[in-house]
Amino acid sequence: MIFVTDYMILAVLLFSIGIVGVVSRRNIIVLYMSIELMLNAINLIFVALSRQFEQLDTQIAALMVIAIAAAEAAIFLAVIVLLFRNRRSLDANVFTLLGQREQPKNDK
Amino acid sequence: MLIEFIFIALSLITLISALGMISFHQPINSVLSFIVTLLSIAGLFALLSSSFIFIVQVIIYAGAIMSLILFVIMFLNIKEKNIPNEPKKALWISGSLIAISPFTLLLVNALKTLPQKEATIINGFGSIEAIGRELFSKWVLPFEMISILLLIALLGAIVLAKKEQNR
Repeated sequence: MIFVTDYMILAVLLFSIGIVGVVSRRNIIVLYMSIELMLNAINLIFVALSRQFEQLDTQIAALMVIAIAAAEAAIFLAVIVLLFRNRRSLDANVFTLLGQREQPKNDK
Repeated sequence: MLIEFIFIALSLITLISALGMISFHQPINSVLSFIVTLLSIAGLFALLSSSFIFIVQVIIYAGAIMSLILFVIMFLNIKEKNIPNEPKKALWISGSLIAISPFTLLLVNALKTLPQKEATIINGFGSIEAIGRELFSKWVLPFEMISILLLIALLGAIVLAKKEQNR
């Protein structure tokens, strides 16, 4: 017998995998997809709560999260294109212009 | 019996393809694995009797957003020397999985104290009509604000990715 809380437990596991992806990888495309995976885990929790209490409000919240994820995808992919055009790399450790005192040489 | 079988199969597919997504070296393999994850999450939405979210997930997430990412990856023409070299990737991933596990266990144990309710399928619960009635009566203002947000994101993406002439 499958309970609604099983779906939420699966969502928590997916969220943890997303955090692991953000922490341990350096490829910015994988970082982006890990963030999307965390958003999807939150969506799964929203929809499971909607099923648990038989209210539709949290499904609307899940729709809003999907719309915000679409907006985020547009901005993030534009930033990826811009960074790749300037630095020729997908390494998140290369993009340290704002973060370090000693700036790496701009190889343009 | 059928619901249990489908749920276990979908959750196994979801977890395995999510782990594959964070551990593949080539970005294109990660994207394809993530599409499998999104489609099986869509199946879980359908099992939770929310058919509209299922359709939106398949069309917008797995269809539009992920094909946009595939398009960008093919557009960038990524060579092997552009991909970051991560020699200790397996160590990092397993280490952070171990480090995150107490948090996960805490959340799982907290979720187990919720009232248990069997996840059977209700007819017409999350249908398009019900969602539309809710969306256009109670949630009209957030809906319109989302449209403005999407417009701003569109303009921002165009401004960011535009080629600058005077460089």
